[in-house]
Amino acid sequence: MRLLIVEDDASLASGLRRILEAEGYAVDVTSRGEDAVLAAAQERFDLVILDIGLPRMDGFEVLRRLRAAEKPMPVLVLTARDAVEDRVRGLDLGADDYMVKPFAMPELTARVRALLRRSQAHGGPRVLHGPLVLDTIARRAFLRGDPLELAAREWAVLEVLLAKTEKIVSKESIIQAVAGWGDDLSPNAIEVYVSRLRSKLEPAGIKIRTVRGFGYMLEEFRGA
Amino acid sequence: MAARSLRGHLLRMLLPPIAALLAVGVVVAYYPSIEPATEAYDQALVDIGVALGSQVRSTPTDYQFDMPPTVEQLLRTNRSDPIYYRVISPGGREIAGDPELPAPQTDAMAYDAVYKGQKLRVVSVLAPCGKSTCSVLVGETTIKRNRLAREVLLSSLFPEMLIAAATLVIVWFGVKRGLWPLARLSEEIKARSPRDLRPIDAAAAPEETRPLVSALNGLLDEVAQAAHKQQRFLANAAHQLRTPLAGLQAHTELALSQPLPESCRAQLEHVHEATVRTARLANQLLALARAEPGGRGSATEIDLKTVVEAEADGWVHQALARELDLGFELDPAPVRGDGLLLREALANLVHNAIEYSRRGGRVTVRTGRRGGQSFTEVEDEGPGIPPQERERVLERFYRVPGTVGTGSGLGLAIVREIAAGHGARIDIGDAGAGEASRGCRVALTFPHG
Repeated sequence: MRLLIVEDDASLASGLRRILEAEGYAVDVTSRGEDAVLAAAQERFDLVILDIGLPRMDGFEVLRRLRAAEKPMPVLVLTARDAVEDRVRGLDLGADDYMVKPFAMPELTARVRALLRRSQAHGGPRVLHGPLVLDTIARRAFLRGDPLELAAREWAVLEVLLAKTEKIVSKESIIQAVAGWGDDLSPNAIEVYVSRLRSKLEPAGIKIRTVRGFGYMLEEFRGA
Repeated sequence: MAARSLRGHLLRMLLPPIAALLAVGVVVAYYPSIEPATEAYDQALVDIGVALGSQVRSTPTDYQFDMPPTVEQLLRTNRSDPIYYRVISPGGREIAGDPELPAPQTDAMAYDAVYKGQKLRVVSVLAPCGKSTCSVLVGETTIKRNRLAREVLLSSLFPEMLIAAATLVIVWFGVKRGLWPLARLSEEIKARSPRDLRPIDAAAAPEETRPLVSALNGLLDEVAQAAHKQQRFLANAAHQLRTPLAGLQAHTELALSQPLPESCRAQLEHVHEATVRTARLANQLLALARAEPGGRGSATEIDLKTVVEAEADGWVHQALARELDLGFELDPAPVRGDGLLLREALANLVHNAIEYSRRGGRVTVRTGRRGGQSFTEVEDEGPGIPPQERERVLERFYRVPGTVGTGSGLGLAIVREIAAGHGARIDIGDAGAGEASRGCRVALTFPHG
C-alpha cells in the first residue's frame, strides 16, 4: 500500500511518515500542493493524507484537481480549522474523511485502515474481515474457509456493517439500506437479524457492539 | 453636570418666560379696559360739576349759589363714594362747598388729590358767571374705581393663569409623550441579544432620533468589525497552535511505540500527557473565544438530534477507550442556533461525563422536547456535583476541590457561554431519582420556538 502525505509542517509530516511506515505502508511526503497534484498524476497512490492549510495552492484546490483528474483514491483531510463550512466543503469536494488537528495517532491509523479497506472492498467482488470472506458476486460467505449460511436479510445487514467497520451505524440507516420498497421493517426486526449474525460470527472473534439507543458497530477484527 | 430630567430642565427653562408673558399680558389687558371706565366716572363728575355751575348766579357785586334740592339729593344719594364740591369765583373767592378741596396744580381737567387723608378723584369744570367764569371742583373718593380696577385685573389675570397652568401641564405630559420614540428605541435595544450586532433599522426610527440611531449603528459596526477581526485571528491562532501540537503528539506517540528504557518511558508519557492536555486546552480556549458575543456565526434552524447523531461516532470511541457504555435517547429537538457552537457545548458535556465516570459506567445523551421546549441532557454515573458547587462550576477555570483528572475547568464555562448565546437554561442535577441517586445530569433547555 502506498500513501501520499501532503503536509507543510515538517515535524508533523515526519511524525506521520514514521508512524505509517511502522504500520507497513510505503509513504511519500510533500509539503506543496502543486507537487502533490503532479505526483498523483504520474504515480499511483492508494490513499492521500491532505492538509488544508498549505501555502499557495491549498488543500481544497489540491482535492478539487485530484477529483477533476478522476483520481479515485480515498483522501483523508487534515485541518487545523474546525469551522463546519470547511468540513462540509471538504466533503463536498470529495474528501472521504476529515480529522481536526491535533489528533491521536491510533485514531489516524484506524481511519487510514478503514479507508483503505473500504476502497479495496469497493467494487471488488470479495469483502474481507478477519476470518470472514464475502463473495458479493456469488453471494456466498465463508468463515475460516467454511461456507457460512446467511439469510438474505442477514446478508444485507452484514454488508451495511462491513462497509462501516469501526463506525457506528444507526438502526434507521440499516433499515433504510435493507428494506426494499413496500417493506415495513421494525427496529426490533433489525435486532433479531443482528443477534443471529452475532451467534454465527462471534465464535470466530468477530464482534458487533450495541450502541444503546442508537445502533451497532462492527468492531475491527483483533484476532479470535 | 449631574444627569437631570429633561422634563424638569424644560420646565425650568419655560417658567421665567411664561411668568414674564403673564405679567405683560396683565398690563396689556388692564389699561385698555380700565381707561374707558375711568373716563365714564370722570364724565359723571363733570356732569355734576356742570349742574352745580348752572346754579351760580351773579349779582352786580357778588355771586350767589343756591343748591337746588334735586342736585342736593343727587349728591346725597351717591352709592359708595361721598362727593365733595367747591365753587370758586373768577376772582378766587370761595362761593360754596369745601374750601379745603385741593385746586388743580396744572391745566388738567381731571386729577387725583388727597383730601382729609382720603384719595380723591377731582374734576374741574368752568361755569359761566355773568361775563366771567367761575370754576367748580367736584371730587369723589376712589372706592368704586379701586373696586373696578381690582375686577378688571382679576378678570384678565384669571384666564392668563389658566393658560400658564395648562402650558405647564402640557409640557409635563408632552415631554413624556414626545420622548416615546426614544423609549421605544431603548426597548428595542434592551430586547437585543448581546450577540446581535446588526444595525438598528434607521428608517423605522423617528426623524429626531436618527442621529442617535446612526451613532449607535456606527458603534455596533465597529464592534462587529472588531469581533470579525478577532474571529480571523482565532482561526489563524488555531491553525498555528494545532499544527505543531499535532506534530508533538505524533512524535511522542511514535517514541512511546518503540522499546524504551523504563525511566525514559515514564518521562515521555508525561510529555505526551501534557501535550494532549495542552491541545485540549488550546481547543477549549478557542471555543470559549468563539462562543463570546460577536463571535457567533449565523443562526439556523437545527435539530439537536442531528447534531448528536453527527458526533456520536467520535464520542462512542472515546467512551469505549475508557470502557464506558455510552447510550442515546434521541427524539427530535429543533432549535435556532449555531451548529458548530451547539456541537461544542454537547462535546464538552459528553467529555466531562466520560472523564468523571468509573470504568463500566453508563453515560446517556438525550435530546427531545419537554413542556414545549427543546432540550438536550447528558447523564453519568460519576461522583456528581454537590449542590453548593453547581453555580461555581460554571465559572472559568473553577474545579470542584478534590477533583481528580486533568480538566482545565473550562468545559462548563464554554457550555454556559454557548447556552447564554442561545438563550438556553442550564440545569445541573443528580442523575436518576431517589436517595440512591448518583452521578450528574446537566441539561440545556432552549427557549420556545
